[in-house]
Amino acid sequence: MKTEMDFEDLMEEAYQLPNGPAKLGFLEEAARVADVNGMVEEAYEARSEIVDAATFCGYPMKALIAFSWQLGKFDQQPELYDEETLLWSYKWILGKMPDFPEISREKIMELLEDFGARFKSYGYSERSYWYYRFRIFMDFGELEESGRSYDKFRTLDRDFMSDCEACEQDEIMRYFMLKGDDEKVLEVAKPILKGRMSCAEIPHLTLSEILMPLYRLGRTEEADKYQVKGYRLIKGENDFVQSFSEQMEYLTLTNPAKGIDVLEETLVLAADHEDAYAKMLYYAKAAPLLRRWTEEKESEGYRMRLPASFPYEGDPGDLLKLADYFAEHAQTVAAKFDQRNGNTHVSSLIAERRI
Amino acid sequence: MTASNEYRFQVNLSGMIQILSNHLYSSPKVFLRELMQNATDAITARKEVEPGYQGEARIELTGTGDQLTMMVEDNGVGLTEADIHEFLAMIGQSSKRGQQALLDGETSFIGRFGIGLLSCFMVSHEIVMLTQSIKGGPSMEWRGKPDGTYTIRQLDTQLSPGTKVYLRCTPDAAHYFETEYVKEALFYYGALLPYPVTLLHDGVQSVVNQDSPIWLTRPELARSCRAEVLAFGERLLGEKFQDFIPLTTATGRTGGIAYVLPHAVNLNAKRSHRVYLKRMLISEKAENILPEWAFFVKCLIWTDELQPTASREHFYENEKLEEVRSELGDALRMGLADMAENQTERLQKLIRLHALSMKALAVQDQAFYAMIHRWLPFETTRGHRELGELIDEGETLYYTGSIDEYRQIHHVASAQSMLVVNAGYIYDKELMAMLPVILNNVQTERIEPDEVSMTFTDVAPAERNQYYDALRLADSALQRFRCRAEVKGFKPSDLPVLFTLSQESSTLRALEKASEESTDLFSSVLGSLSAGINSAGYSTLYLNVNNPIIKRVLTSPDNQMTPIAIEMLYVNALMMGHYAMNKQELEVLNQGIVRFIDWGLRANTDRKGDA
Repeated sequence: MKTEMDFEDLMEEAYQLPNGPAKLGFLEEAARVADVNGMVEEAYEARSEIVDAATFCGYPMKALIAFSWQLGKFDQQPELYDEETLLWSYKWILGKMPDFPEISREKIMELLEDFGARFKSYGYSERSYWYYRFRIFMDFGELEESGRSYDKFRTLDRDFMSDCEACEQDEIMRYFMLKGDDEKVLEVAKPILKGRMSCAEIPHLTLSEILMPLYRLGRTEEADKYQVKGYRLIKGENDFVQSFSEQMEYLTLTNPAKGIDVLEETLVLAADHEDAYAKMLYYAKAAPLLRRWTEEKESEGYRMRLPASFPYEGDPGDLLKLADYFAEHAQTVAAKFDQRNGNTHVSSLIAERRI
Repeated sequence: MTASNEYRFQVNLSGMIQILSNHLYSSPKVFLRELMQNATDAITARKEVEPGYQGEARIELTGTGDQLTMMVEDNGVGLTEADIHEFLAMIGQSSKRGQQALLDGETSFIGRFGIGLLSCFMVSHEIVMLTQSIKGGPSMEWRGKPDGTYTIRQLDTQLSPGTKVYLRCTPDAAHYFETEYVKEALFYYGALLPYPVTLLHDGVQSVVNQDSPIWLTRPELARSCRAEVLAFGERLLGEKFQDFIPLTTATGRTGGIAYVLPHAVNLNAKRSHRVYLKRMLISEKAENILPEWAFFVKCLIWTDELQPTASREHFYENEKLEEVRSELGDALRMGLADMAENQTERLQKLIRLHALSMKALAVQDQAFYAMIHRWLPFETTRGHRELGELIDEGETLYYTGSIDEYRQIHHVASAQSMLVVNAGYIYDKELMAMLPVILNNVQTERIEPDEVSMTFTDVAPAERNQYYDALRLADSALQRFRCRAEVKGFKPSDLPVLFTLSQESSTLRALEKASEESTDLFSSVLGSLSAGINSAGYSTLYLNVNNPIIKRVLTSPDNQMTPIAIEMLYVNALMMGHYAMNKQELEVLNQGIVRFIDWGLRANTDRKGDA
């Protein structure tokens, strides 16, 4: 009976699946079997896989839980495990920390220092530390401090523990986006758009990020092309909820009917997301999209197809009320982030603006 | 003031060749493909000038050891002296041309001639080309060396129009010049070429490619030549197929055969289809030409409308490719639809092998789902069943959202012969949720482990009241585990308790467990997170009134005994459910066992004392 498979079978099943809840199900089951039977190294192995899969399909909490367990085991017997793999995943975990509003600023800084110290102790380049410092301050909305780290990390040498160039470039782009420098955003995006830099997540992320900068510069023809291309790359992927929000924001202004398609196709992914930050952005962009859609004639009598698991109890035909539901959720979560960050960075990010 | 001088970069050709062989091309063996491509382009160009012209290519192997030579000859347009200077002397010129040609909508014959020829330096230290253009002029000889020098001279004799390329094999490339290898490689690259390719060796002459079958140009005719199509697929793709679906597009400029893989495939496996551009093999690992879900087929595809990348091994991801991809996807879908209507047995066989693929497709496409739903397999409390059978039962189909949830409830559900589908596998949850949308008369409902209790019999308030004291003791004993007790009646009656937990309490358990094992810093981080879910995360321990022991626990509350019994039942339920226990729970288990042994022994000595 499948419900009583042993560790090896479960891992085997998991390896055959693409990242997603089903794969995580098998891996968690494998970790549980290993735990119950006192198979520590197997439990560690299963959790390595959980961290990997969960990070890239919208389950940062599961990733964090598995990673915490691993780190504890590692510290007890470092000779048993591979430090490179573990510290590589530390980067993923650290990068996601600011997305949990429950985790205080102080704790995140402590984690950053812990991360830096561990990298240093193995002789890795300090670049990773400064690069993540740059990202974390960006997440806090402290652009000056982030800028200082930006200047610093770029002077340091890359090594095999550095993030890939494409990912770094994308973060740099995000920095100029937050600074409101659209021209610079596109300049930084160039090597990615030209296909000279790419990885598993790039250009996927980039193609949605540049839509609004292009729009603001009046280059909608290019933007339309990137929208189609970008959406095709991310469609159906749990990892790109934030990108869906960027797609919706752009389509709200240029093609609300298509925006509604995106909303209906992706809501099931967003609603089930553990990443509070990405989900908040998504909800924040869904609201104005719905409102804009109600101004269209086609929207008359239109009922939103909501996923079965979606907790909204109201009438799916009352689009304005649904918009309020999304907006309220986003604002509540944004307030939590603001409180944690000690500023209004996040709520100003999601404030509705008429362009 | 000095005048600024302008200089030109010097490109080191041997360095370039190094780059070509190591980075652009996947292996030196592609030199043969490049030569065939040049020959094909030259013949195509000649046909444009002389319609009905019969092209051909001849390959001859002569000599042995360091004299081993390969000659590739075509009777195409040939090159004039000016052509040679333009296309062979200037690297990069030809590919630039290609870009321009792309903008014009067609790739010109000369396309990438020069860069293709360069690939021959990967296997030969000298390339000699003899050529005669159909435009007239003298016959020419071009000799190139990998250091970047070349000579050109006019020949005294007049050759017939066409081009011959001679390669003298380098010692480490001898493998690529063996007769059997060359023969296989020519077939591999040129099996679909519309002109004969002949190999000459030791006086033996053989045609490598047969006449091209009619269904190559009209895939819709493939069905009537089933055996032939299957045999062709086996020779070219090396697998024994039993079924295929012809592929066509609206323009007719792309077509193919999708062979159904005779074995199950891993969802993560690389999709490798073999693609011919203008009848020349361009890629054996084209992944992006069919939609993601098409992993149950291996395709032969020919096209003349897609733009290859510089290595000619993949296609540019552009709108045209997107269009072709979705049309090929539609053709595949139609093929399956046709089977569902006319050849259900064939479809059934296919679904058994490729259930995952079919499910992936069904999730994306409701119409397709409606068509094939009956044959999709699911795991249920009544065994592995096809959806059609399940629907015929006429009951509401309950399904769980994860394997973990299914594990929690399947014992109880089976004992009560309740039909529950394990929808924790990929796509199953979505399919179950969609089912009522595509079929009007079918109900499905997602069931959470703590909802299994709805099939339990309620205990009447009056009876429950009798257990009031015992339940209060139970609740306070379980509180530190963030669990509460409830009384219900359920089957099987030998099951004393059942432990269920919601998604949130499941997360909490995992948080606590990790927190116990982790560093101080991470434990405190996890602590901040669990604070956020604390309020909602209560699990439930169901006490089964149909069980005699539970009945006794409930009817004789005892301040000392009841909490311990409940705690023991709690950890027992965890063990039964195969949950990993935290330190606190393990302690309960250990202490409890010791205490029961102690009581057991004491009761025994007491009795002996009575006697």
